Amino acid sequence: MDIFAQLLIQGLTIGSFYALVALGYTMVYGIIRLINFAHGDLFMVGAFVGWSVLTPLIGARLHWGLAVLAALAASTLFTGALGVFVDRAAYQPLLNAPRLSILITALGVSLALENSVLIIYGPGFSTYPHILSNAGFPIGAAHISWAQLGIIGSSLVLMLALYVFVHRTYVGTAMRALAVDQDAARLMGINVERVIQLTFFIGSALAAVAGVMEGVYYTQINFFMGFLLGLRAFTAAVLGGIGNIPGAMAGGILIGLLEAFFSGYLSSQWTDVFVFGILIAVLTVKPTGLFGERVVERM
Amino acid sequence: MERTANRAAAVAAFALAAAVPFFANNYIVDVGLTIITYAILGLGLNIVVGYAGLLDLGYAAFFAIGAYTTALLETLAGLSFWATLPASLGLAATSGVVIGYPTLRLRSDYLAIVTLGFGEIVRITATNLSITGGPNGIYGINPPSILGLEISSPRQIYELGMGFLLIVLLFAVRLSRSRLGRAWTSLREDESAAEAVGVPTLFVKLLAYVMGALIGGFGGSLFAARFGTIDPTGFTYLQSVTILIIVVLGGRGSIPGVILGAGLVAGLPEALRFLNIWRILGFAIALILLMLLRPQGLWPARPRRPPVPARDKARQVLPRMEAGGRGGEVLLEVRNLRKVFGGVTAVASVSFRVVRGEILSVIGPNGAGKTSVFNCLTGVTRPTSGTVSWLGRSIVGRAPHRVVHLGIARTFQGIRLFPELTAFENVLVGMDHRARASIAGQVLSLPRARREEDEHHGEAMAWLDFVGLAGRAGERAANLPYGDQRRLEIARALASRPRLLLLDEPAAGMNPTEKVALTRLIRAIRDLGVTVQLIEHDMMLVMGISDRIVVMDRGTVIAEGPPAAIQADQRVIDAYLGNEDDVADGDEGGAPLVAEAGA
Repeated sequence: MDIFAQLLIQGLTIGSFYALVALGYTMVYGIIRLINFAHGDLFMVGAFVGWSVLTPLIGARLHWGLAVLAALAASTLFTGALGVFVDRAAYQPLLNAPRLSILITALGVSLALENSVLIIYGPGFSTYPHILSNAGFPIGAAHISWAQLGIIGSSLVLMLALYVFVHRTYVGTAMRALAVDQDAARLMGINVERVIQLTFFIGSALAAVAGVMEGVYYTQINFFMGFLLGLRAFTAAVLGGIGNIPGAMAGGILIGLLEAFFSGYLSSQWTDVFVFGILIAVLTVKPTGLFGERVVERM
Repeated sequence: MERTANRAAAVAAFALAAAVPFFANNYIVDVGLTIITYAILGLGLNIVVGYAGLLDLGYAAFFAIGAYTTALLETLAGLSFWATLPASLGLAATSGVVIGYPTLRLRSDYLAIVTLGFGEIVRITATNLSITGGPNGIYGINPPSILGLEISSPRQIYELGMGFLLIVLLFAVRLSRSRLGRAWTSLREDESAAEAVGVPTLFVKLLAYVMGALIGGFGGSLFAARFGTIDPTGFTYLQSVTILIIVVLGGRGSIPGVILGAGLVAGLPEALRFLNIWRILGFAIALILLMLLRPQGLWPARPRRPPVPARDKARQVLPRMEAGGRGGEVLLEVRNLRKVFGGVTAVASVSFRVVRGEILSVIGPNGAGKTSVFNCLTGVTRPTSGTVSWLGRSIVGRAPHRVVHLGIARTFQGIRLFPELTAFENVLVGMDHRARASIAGQVLSLPRARREEDEHHGEAMAWLDFVGLAGRAGERAANLPYGDQRRLEIARALASRPRLLLLDEPAAGMNPTEKVALTRLIRAIRDLGVTVQLIEHDMMLVMGISDRIVVMDRGTVIAEGPPAAIQADQRVIDAYLGNEDDVADGDEGGAPLVAEAGA
């Protein structure tokens, strides 16, 4: 029983990372129907920017809370801007080209980001300063640390804020309108390019938050970290129904839990086989994901 | 003449490539062999991505299956390389079915993650099992031998690879020109239209996976023979992505493009070695720039049009479809048909019969449910309840292509041709499901298949001639004027030799002259022995041509009978023009119900 609760907490923690990154996949897909294969690498870039800011600040004996906030701010701004830049430079010119062409540039961007970081930071692991203790409090027989609670809590707050933003504000409504019909949205006076930029900015910034949190929590980062996490987050977005924001959140948490329980109880070697197996099984039964996509196929 | 020149250039290029080991050093030969391997894999994935338009991010799985099958059978069962080939092809093809079957109903974006997952599952399985040697893989794979001569030096393996590449090249070229290739093109252009003219789209997609898998397995066996050792790192997601890049960068569907792509993707990183650590970054940036500059690929596919037969060939006599048989026989019977979409009842309750040899019109205000009825008849949507029987047997729940095979063809309200195919090819797609020669026969160009192809080409021309389009057979459908597109759609439907032809608003958008020609055409179709049922708003045309008319309003049949009776029917007049109790809600801009018949 105690292992169950411990795995639950662990699953929720990993799931929070997946969910934050999955949101970026789903938002971009919803709006321009692109699987942004570089998104996992934006998460990685976010982690490295955070590291570059946090390490000297902690070295300068700044309070760790302030240092983390500064790292988050710098990382979200930089990564958000990078996401917008990638969209402008590599995706926008190809929006009317065959869809596979834009997929290939996305793969190219992914490769370019990974290798840029490889060149700047080297192939080895970079280590975040150890600022978190394992302190926390017991839940039954299990132990939850303040760090885990903070990660799960702040992810939930961010997701809730995004949901409210998309559903309760003028810009959010424009975003949803654009997802349904870009031309009609343009005719209604929506500045489509600005909305797309904003979508990329928010998606990339959320990935950056996940990147910094991952760095602070696990302390080891390297240029390849975005690949596996991106894959899981993408799986989560599809599992929840791609284009569907609450679906991506639920999908992320679900994948985190599946991973924690499967590797905890059975075998960590076969976890990926299990996760993909579940995905294929779900899609076979429900071809648009668990919560259905919010995308209308254009006939 | 251009074709002969192209062929000569291709042969010369191939001969030059085959001669490389005689003047190049071992390093070049080794890079060359890598390019050959990627070219083979690219040509295989090109069938899935380029021909059929499906996405596959786990193609390396088939490559892995081929390589592991050869390696295991050689090292464990002591089989020779050649003896392992059939097993490796068979296993790869089977896994093509396994991955294809559950995923075919998914849209392409979902296919991306499912195929990616499949690729990872295969790789992780190979890494974790002990029989496959785990992470260390399998070594000590014997080189193949031909006539007792062991093929082991890099130069010999290179020539073996060229032999494999030649087989794959011929296979890919012939396949693209077979009716399967045409079916894939139609699928890419408009999936619903392909299904509606008799292409079994799910099966055809599955075949694309299987054919791609076959080539992947073939390449895998070659890979195992080349290195004598394999391990899971050769079959990662990045490998699948690399093969995809080759196909898209080169040009989807283009065979020279794929080979060029293979040369670039395998060769460029080698050529960029001087950049050291900047090498892959340089490659990535080059890739992005190339895609931005040439989104269609470096060497885009140029569709190869089948030559249009001479016009006198079209003088072949069109088959009379209903020779003999009883008049007055009920072909199609619809009873209590009902179709509900969510909370909207499109069709409340509709019953009618279609009798052999007649021209039956369905009229009614917009939103009356006419097209919904057509969709239920042709298997596009499944009725909520009620029966549809064809020659006394229920056809509810059959896929649209099955309905076509039974003898019911249709056209669409909004024209749905395959715009990039020629008029001639459009008609051929409509005929292909009647072909009897096997795909293998077409790929190998066996005499029987060739004879059948000639016959079909002649018949296709005859159908074009029948609708008056023989002179435009070689033009792209998208370039035809509107009226011609309508007539081409009819020719394509007729090419399936239907017993019943459903026309959905054939006169929409036509000018008066074209309408007169259309009236004549519909009569001529009936004279061929094809029963015609049409939905139409043009009352002049309807009243002039119909034997009987069914009038629908708000999902029900409100009147049925010969034109004269319909014109006098008070309920029909109310439905179109409204009466005092009921303000008209869907009138047709004052369509002249009282128009004289036979104008």
